[in-house]
Formats: sequence, C-alpha cells, structure tokens
Amino acid sequence: MADEDKNVEKDNENKGKKHDSGTADLEKVTDFEEEKEISPQSIQDAMKIVAEKQRKVNEEKLLREKELARVKVNKEDVELIMNEMEISRQLAERKLKEHKSDLVPALRDLLN
Amino acid sequence: MPSNNQLDPKENALFKRVLKCYEQKQYKNGLKFAKQILSNPKFSEHGETLAMKGLTLNCLGKKEDAYDYVKKGLKNDLKSHVCWHVYGLLQRSDRKYEEAIKCYRNALKWDKDNLQILRDLSLLQIQMRDLEGYRETRYQLLVLRPIQRASWIGYAMAHHLLKNYEMAFQVLEEFRKTQSDVKPWDYEHSELLLYQNNVLTEAGNLQAALDHLNKYETHILDKLVLFETRASLLLKLEMFEEAENIYLKLIDRNPENKAYYEGVAAARRCETPESKLAIYKEIKEKYPRASVPRRMPLIFASPSQGFKEYADALLRRSLQKGIPPLFVMLKPLYQDAQKVTILEELILQYANNLKSCNKFHHDDDETQNPTVLLWTYHLLAQHFDQIGDTVKALDYINEALNHTVTLIELLVVKAKIFKHAGDVVQAAECMDEAQSLDTADRFINSKCAKYMIRAGWMTKAEVMCAKFTREGMPATESLNEMQCMWYQSECAASYMNQGRYGEALKKCVEIDRHFMQINDDQFDFHTYCMRKMTLRAYIDLLRLEDRLKCHKFYVKTATIAISIYVHLHDHPVADRKQKDDNDSGLSASELKKRKNKERKAAKKAAAEQAAKRAEEAKKEHNKKLPPADPDIDRVPEETLDPEKLERTEKPLDEAIKFLKPLLSLRPNDLNTHILAFEIYFRRSKPLLMLQAIKKGLSIDTCDPVLHTCVIRFLKYVASTKHDNPAVKEVLESEMASLFPNGVDPVVVNNKFLENYPKSLPHLLAAAKMMFLLDTETGERARSLVIGLNSDLTSVNIKSCTEVLKALEGDELGKCEKMYQDYKELCHEKFPFARAFFPPNKLVNGNSEVENEP
Repeated sequence: MADEDKNVEKDNENKGKKHDSGTADLEKVTDFEEEKEISPQSIQDAMKIVAEKQRKVNEEKLLREKELARVKVNKEDVELIMNEMEISRQLAERKLKEHKSDLVPALRDLLN
Repeated sequence: MPSNNQLDPKENALFKRVLKCYEQKQYKNGLKFAKQILSNPKFSEHGETLAMKGLTLNCLGKKEDAYDYVKKGLKNDLKSHVCWHVYGLLQRSDRKYEEAIKCYRNALKWDKDNLQILRDLSLLQIQMRDLEGYRETRYQLLVLRPIQRASWIGYAMAHHLLKNYEMAFQVLEEFRKTQSDVKPWDYEHSELLLYQNNVLTEAGNLQAALDHLNKYETHILDKLVLFETRASLLLKLEMFEEAENIYLKLIDRNPENKAYYEGVAAARRCETPESKLAIYKEIKEKYPRASVPRRMPLIFASPSQGFKEYADALLRRSLQKGIPPLFVMLKPLYQDAQKVTILEELILQYANNLKSCNKFHHDDDETQNPTVLLWTYHLLAQHFDQIGDTVKALDYINEALNHTVTLIELLVVKAKIFKHAGDVVQAAECMDEAQSLDTADRFINSKCAKYMIRAGWMTKAEVMCAKFTREGMPATESLNEMQCMWYQSECAASYMNQGRYGEALKKCVEIDRHFMQINDDQFDFHTYCMRKMTLRAYIDLLRLEDRLKCHKFYVKTATIAISIYVHLHDHPVADRKQKDDNDSGLSASELKKRKNKERKAAKKAAAEQAAKRAEEAKKEHNKKLPPADPDIDRVPEETLDPEKLERTEKPLDEAIKFLKPLLSLRPNDLNTHILAFEIYFRRSKPLLMLQAIKKGLSIDTCDPVLHTCVIRFLKYVASTKHDNPAVKEVLESEMASLFPNGVDPVVVNNKFLENYPKSLPHLLAAAKMMFLLDTETGERARSLVIGLNSDLTSVNIKSCTEVLKALEGDELGKCEKMYQDYKELCHEKFPFARAFFPPNKLVNGNSEVENEP
C-alpha cells in the first residue's frame, strides 16, 4: 500500500514535469550555457558605442512622437474612421494625426 | 524587497523553500511550506505567499483556486514585484499574453532591474512581435548583464528584426571582438559568423558580406552553406566566372539540386534554351545516373530543339523501370499543346509496338518485359484523363486492369479518372478497392478516406482512418490531436456541400486552433535558440510563424468558414431547416435513407472496432500505447458544439476573424478580396467594399465573380444615401478613377457582356447581374447561359454546375422547366458527372453503394 502511494506520487511528479511549458526544462538542459561569459576586457568600449547609438535612436523617435502628439483630432472624425474602416481607435487616431486631422486624405490613405 | 510585508526569519526561510520547490516542480512540498507560513496568524494574509500558493496550484491543474489565491495575494501586497510577476506567469500560462505583459511591467515598477522579470518580459514581447518593446527590454538586459553573451545576441537580433541592419551588425561585431580565443571546431561561433553574414546580405551590403565570408572562411564549419552563400553573392555582384566555378563544384557535391543548374545558367548568362540545354548535356555526360539533367530539358526544350528526343529517352527509361509517378513529372508540360501532341504520339506508338512485338520500336534490338506495356497503358490513361477524354482514359485503364487486376496504382488512377469526370461515388468505390488490396499501406488508406469524404460518406471515412489511429478513442478525435489538417479540411468542405454547416464550422475552428497552437509552440525556441546560437534557423522560424496562415490549409479553411458564415447571415439556421425540408435536393425519403445508411455504417464500424480491439488485446499486450498526454499547460479548449456554431449570433464577426489573416498575408490573392467584399457588403460598409473591389481589380480586371461584386457595389452606392460628406467625397473621387465608363451598373454590366461574349463563367456573371438589376430581364438573362452547343468557351463541369445552381436558386428568374432541360443537356455532355444525374439514376447509384461490402 505504501509502495503504491509512492508510485502515485512519483507518477504525479513525472506528470508535473510535463505540464510546464517546457521552457523551464530547456533551461535546465542548457544551463551550462549560462556559464559561458565574455571576458570583460573590451566590454566597456563596446557598451559605450552601443549606448550612444541607442540614445540617438530614442531621441529621433521621441521627436517624431512629440510632433504627432501636438496634433489635435476631432473625436467624431476618429469615430467615423473607426466605424467605416473597422479599425481600432488607436490606429484611427494615428492615421488622422499623420494627415494633420484632415479626414478625407486619412480615409483615402486607409483605403489604399 | 520593496514590499512592506516583511516576514520573520523563520518564515522567510520557508518562503525561499516555496520558491525553490516551485522551480524544482515539487509542487506538493511547495504547498506544504506555504501552508506552514500561512498557518502563522501573523502572516495568514501574506501576499507573496498567497500568490506563490496560487501559482503552485496552477501547476497542479487547479486553475480556479490558482486565480483566487494569486489575486488575493496581489490585493494584499500591491507593491510586491513577486506578486505581479506571479500574476503575469499565471496569465501567460493561460495564453493571455497582453495581460501578462502588463503584469510584468507593473512588477518592474517595483524592481526595475530584476533580471528574471526582464527576461520573461522579453520572451513575451518577441512572442507578440512587440519589436520596439523587445528592443528596449533587451537593451536593459544588455546594460545589466553585459558579460553574458545572450544579452548581446538578443539585442542584435532585436535590431535585425526592426531592420536596423547596421546597428545589428555593429552589436554583433562588438560582441565578436570580445571572443578572443576561438577554438578550432567551435560550431556556435561558426553559426554566429554566418548569422552576421546574413545580416550584411539582408542589408544589401553584398561586397561587405563577401569580404566577411572570405575573411572568416576557416571558422565557418558549415561548408555547404559557405559555398552556396558565396556563389549567390558572387552572382549578385556579377563576378560570373567565380560564381560559375562554385556552382559547378556544388553540382559535383549534389547533381540533383535544380538550383545549382540555374546558378550555372545565370553565371553563364544563358538566355536561349540552347545554351541552357548545353549545361544539362555537359552534366549528363559527367553524371549519367543523375535524373535532373535528364528531366529538366523537357521543360524548356521546344519541339524544334529536340524535345521529342529528350522525351523519348526519358519515357523509355521510366517505363522500363516502371516508375509509377512518371506522369507527375510530365504534368508541367501539359501547358504546351505542341508538347502534349508529341507525348501522345510517342506513348501511343510505344503501346502499339509493345503489343505487337514487345519492343518500343520495331527496329529496336531489345525486347521489353510485359510489364512495360502495363505501365504504358497506365501512363496513357493518365494522359487522356489530363486532356479531359474520360472515355479513352477509362478504356486504357481497363485494358491495364485486364493485364494485372491487382495493381493498386491502376485502381488509384481509375478512381482519379472518375473523380475528374465528376463521379465521386464511383471514384470512392475504386479507391476502396485499391485500399482493400493493401490494408497496411497508410498512403492508400488516407487517399481512400479522402475520396470517401468527397463522396459524403463521413462515417465510412472515419472507420477507414481508424485503421491507423490510436485505439480507444474516436478517429476524428485522434486525428484532431495529431493536427491532421488534410482530413479536417476535407471534412469541412464535404460537410459544407452537404449543408451540415455546424459540423463544417467545427472542423474549421479546429484547424484554426491548430494554427494558434503552432504559433504558441515557438515559445520554447525564444530561449533555446539564443543559447544554442542557431540564430539563422531561429530567424527563419520567426518569419515562418509570421506567415504561417499563408498555408494552403488555412486559406482553404478560411474560405470555407467565411462562405458558411456569410450564408448563415443570409439564411439563419431556423429558416434553413424549413427550407431544407421543402426544397433541398433531397426528398424526405432520400433523407431518411441517408440517415439509415449512416446509422448502419456507424453500427458496423462500432462492431468492427470492438472485434478488432478484442483480437488485438488477445494478440499482444506489449504494444500498449502510452496514456493520453495530460498537457495541462495547454489551455483546456472550449468544446465545440456544431449546433451552437451554426447558430452564432454574429456570423459576420466570426467571418472577419478568418478574413483578417488573409487580408494581411495574402493581399495578392483575388479570393481574399472577393471574400472581404461579401462580408463588408453585408455590413453596409461602402469604403471597405470599395477597398475590396479596388484591390481585386488591380489583380484581375476580368474575373467574373469579382464582376458580380462590382455590380452589386454600384447598385448599393446608387441606392444609398451617404450622410457624411467626407465619405461621399472619397467614394466619388475614387470611383471616378476606378470606373472610366461611368458608374451606372446597367452600363457597366452591358460593357462586361460585350467584352466577354463567349466565356460561360463571364456570361453567367453578367446574366445574374442583369436579372438582379432588372427582374424583367429574366428571359434574356437565361438565354445567355443555357446554350451548350455553340462556340462557348470554359464549358466544363464546374461552370455548368454553377449555371444549374443559378437556375435552381431562381437567380435568373423562375424557370422550373428550363432547369430540368438544362440538367438533361448537361447530362448528355458530361455523362459521368453526378451533378447532372437524373433522379432515378442517382437513387440507383446510392443503393449500389449500400450493397457494397
């Protein structure tokens, strides 16, 4: 009886292993990879270059977003676009802003 | 820990054990420790412990309890990153990825440098293709852990996916520089270099890519890829001589790869067929046993360039060897009428000579084995089937069967001939016979099941499939588990034709779920590939998943599902039932008969299965299959109820779900836009209708089905008032440029009729629209389509069936008598097609089926 209990428990454990998405299992298999690390000698320089580039990319993006954020849109226009073109509010607003709140060109853009 | 709910040292130690147990999947122990903490009255409401308890319960399959505990834990400790993280993990296991991302972000608010959470977040972001977010997260990981190589690779990959090739290359380059001591057989380093090279090539930086390849040649261990990449780069850089040399070397490695021959042709700048033929001739002399140099010339050698000689050599060799799929090889040639004539002459000549003197040609020295004649008949039957001569095709296949009655391939061809001639029932019978000759062959078994499904024998088909599926569960279930999509899509099509829409939709949704599952399956690879450095394969996988729904199974399924939903919108189920009883093709007795038949088949199947099971159980115990895979990690799917599916309240919303992937992934497929129109027309969305038509017309201006969309659209616009000036303006200006002949539907329809006066599908489309625009024109509309003996083109079973359907459905006005006459006319023209069988013949056919063993 006790043996059986043990078996059941073991079975459950085995099943438990299967339940997890497998990511965890894979992690185990490849754990040793984690050890492979880069010697830190040239990392400083490399990081600097990378950071500089990332900063530039971010700045440009921010600028673009800021420009778009300044455009004011008419709520009714947004709803018309959403309804006619069956798209999300987010996308409708963005399209409208890209066309400086002008409804007709925005619709035409979405059409093509 | 930022949380203000601090545990005492003893409880803290226990909590650590809970975490450890979770990681090591000792869930029961984990619960025990959690209980110990919670049983201390001081910490009975401790948020993080409650959350962990919930997460552990989730892994034991107790979903509801899990949510209760995790939510309660979170409520008690909103400032704990652990609670948020746990909630995110829970959502993730339920496939609620968007929600999970939000949770992770909240967790990061309380612990912004938590590596584990950042990693989990990045996985979800790449899974959801939030590339910008992915890049941000990977950047943070890089800053936090620059000594880990996965940090660099992940960050580079993010840029690559965002098409910032230069940045991706730079990051990889910086990383490569840190790799100072590369061992001689470091495959992962080799993969890294090839991936870096890929990035350069994709950026269009070909010279740099070539230089890179040359520089690291010794480190790249996958030599085949090295050669192939170099050859293609050289070719693009117009360094032809070097490219040619490499392609020739590649042919030495593998003379069966067509691409290498094309490479040589491109490097030699061959423009004429002669110059291309020279390459194949050259290689054939070098590798006389290779098949590509013998096969390919048939495709581009014209009759004056020795097509006949090439064909003669290939045919003789193949017939001698008795290669059953010979016809498959020839099939692409059937687009060229001249080549078809030559092939026919050659094969008929063989058949005559083989019959009279056992030789391909009288002057031959060699006499042939009798089976050569058999394969020649086999080929002739397929040839005549291909060119639509059913009678001759059947003659030859019967001749072959007289020769050897037990050859499976012959029966398969016979079944195909019947199928192409429109008799699905005889086709299925033939296939069944073929199958009975070798019940252990799964290919023929599947073919047979497919033909049975086409014939509408669903139960029989399932019984057929059950010979190979897992025991102890219904075949359909087992096939669904195996994601056997050919079976499910065939079933969907067949159920649709039978008017069993709920059943058909069930199959469609099942297939849709397979695609979702395949998309989910990529999750494991996000971590795995990054660590194993299989980066090229990983990028390919991501791109494949992005385009997964381009697959023909999805397109077919989506088309069926959308058509059904549109139909259900027009004819909701309650209506349909009444109509079914009144005027569906089947009379009440026929319906009853069908039901009886199915019941019988089911009973028989059950009995057979029981007998088989008993037998098998006796025979062998050792072949026990493992129990069904209890994958709780997968969300238990809602069970599909056909009744419920066909009574959906918003069929068009459901249809759009299937349409969306087609719109984004198959924008160059006319079918996509026709389906889109059918939906938006019923939703009264003029701009979206216009969009569908515009895109459709840009693909094909003369498609008859699209024409019906155009006319219905014009009619809709003309008869509807548009309140919004902006919509009106867009409609008017776009339509003006789209329809230079004006927007009067009658004019446009007449113009279409003028343009295509001889093609039956076009005439039918115009006739239907004529009647739609003016119901007085029924007689003229009908007269357009019912003549069969004139010089009409595209008269085939399909187009005639369409005409018949239009007459039956009163789409050209009431015309009972004309429908009957037309059916008889078609029956004369296509005597094998069941669609045109007179009722008495159909009944006979059915009873034959029933008597069949």
